[in-house]
Amino acid sequence: MDKMLLGRYINGDSLIHRMDPRAKLFLSFYFIVIVFLCNNWQTYTLMVAIVLLCVKLSEISLGFFIKGVRPLIWLILFTVLLQIFFSTGGDPYWQWGPFTVTDAGIINGVFVFCRFVLIIFMSTLLTLTTTPLEISDGLESLLKPLLALKVPVYEIALMLSIALRFVPTLMDETTKIMNAQRARGVNFGEGGLIKQIKAVIPLLIPLFVSSFNRAEDLATAMEARGYHGGAGRTKYRKQEWKTKDTLGVVMFLLVTLALVLLRK
Amino acid sequence: MVMSIDIEKLNFEYQSKTPFAHRALTDVSLQISDGSYTAIIGHTGSGKSTLLQHLNGLLRPTSGQLTVAGNLITPETKNKELNELRRHVGFVFQFPEAQLFEETVLKDIAFAPKNFGKSEEESEQIARKMAELVGLPSEVLERSPFELSGGQMRRVAIAGVLAMEPEILILDEPTAGLDPKGRLEMMQMFARLHKQQHLTIILVTHQMNDVADYADHVIVMEAGQVIADSTPAEVFSHPDWLAQHHLGLPQTTAFAAKLKDAGVKLDPVPLTDQALAQQLAGLLAKNGGGQHG
Repeated sequence: MDKMLLGRYINGDSLIHRMDPRAKLFLSFYFIVIVFLCNNWQTYTLMVAIVLLCVKLSEISLGFFIKGVRPLIWLILFTVLLQIFFSTGGDPYWQWGPFTVTDAGIINGVFVFCRFVLIIFMSTLLTLTTTPLEISDGLESLLKPLLALKVPVYEIALMLSIALRFVPTLMDETTKIMNAQRARGVNFGEGGLIKQIKAVIPLLIPLFVSSFNRAEDLATAMEARGYHGGAGRTKYRKQEWKTKDTLGVVMFLLVTLALVLLRK
Repeated sequence: MVMSIDIEKLNFEYQSKTPFAHRALTDVSLQISDGSYTAIIGHTGSGKSTLLQHLNGLLRPTSGQLTVAGNLITPETKNKELNELRRHVGFVFQFPEAQLFEETVLKDIAFAPKNFGKSEEESEQIARKMAELVGLPSEVLERSPFELSGGQMRRVAIAGVLAMEPEILILDEPTAGLDPKGRLEMMQMFARLHKQQHLTIILVTHQMNDVADYADHVIVMEAGQVIADSTPAEVFSHPDWLAQHHLGLPQTTAFAAKLKDAGVKLDPVPLTDQALAQQLAGLLAKNGGGQHG
């Protein structure tokens, strides 16, 4: 689990770190959408350049991002191979039964690979430069329009921020209980499937029980401090939309325009 | 079988070889002899818990090696080889009640012996014995551990560790969060096990009174290093040094230090109420019972 980079935050004070979380969230989603506009070398080169620029601006080493891709590499390669072997059209280089390798297929494979990596880089950039609390605040304010549709936005945001806050706590708790059970002679991740599933019970039950206890304590503590739902609350963390956020949006609009023009 | 612990130049780094790597232990070398009662003290985050987790192979050193109960642990040691070691080392974690999971108290206590190859009946027998040892009333044995009070849950968890019948017992703040009576009972129970069954006990605690009352060996840690390795009398005879390292004195020793400042000659440094009372009684007898020194 130490190797998981997706969803981690690295403290820093770069331009990207200081951007408004709403802008970052919006732009990351927007980026994922416009990646699908790419369909030739020029457009992909442009997107790669944009991503590299953003990585540079975040002052985080490129190595981190490459590590972030690693857990998903098999999924990516699998998709790429499917593309290469099952694409039709173009000049066939090699053919055997249903498998064909064509130049169009290879190009498609490379494009799919680029698309995956670009999306992973951008979402890693979002989580590396934005604290979980900022993300949930940002989501809350982006989801506000849904209030008109009777979506419980405050409750969703509250649940999200509590969940995010307790991820590291629960991870610590998991490690602790795992160690305690190991010390009592449980071997995690050894033996056959049934044996491994059985070994998880002494971990899962205490985790559930402690989550219930924690939830009860937290609810009591919240009530004792006067929490009575989302309506009528004021905000401690104010989000500020600054010039650089507007610039970011403008830049992405220009990129979209360029993409549309460069598309075949 | 030799149950002593020998640690040589142990280094440990969390998340080694990643950007999040951080060093928790630096060049730790120690010996803990068979049947001793060792207390490890130090500021929060000084590496005490990390060191403990090496002693039963939950963590393996990044470099260096240790020998525990005749088992050598090096950075290359495989997980499978550690099972044999774990049956000799009982580990009571902080707030151990979080490890309970079985349907009944009895089953939970019998869990460890069953894992280490004891039959169902044998395990149950051991469980009943241990429940009695930690002072659990027999009527709770068939109840769910989650119905019990916090103090009783703690006892069940500790009984579950003792049921492994370990030769080395590691206690990571076993009395944290207990009431004074529960604390005293528990500490006395560990002292009894130490005396009667010659268990090697390693205790991590912030309670200097417990260190003075029970331990015969003290290890002081700071920032991942051992900064003192001695007897309680020696360590507690340097109040200034302790204060420098953000550690306190046991109540009795602190009081004795005040008496000493006022001119009362106390030698050696008294660690327990009884020792202090005896020394004072001796002094009073010498001075004719009337004056203070």
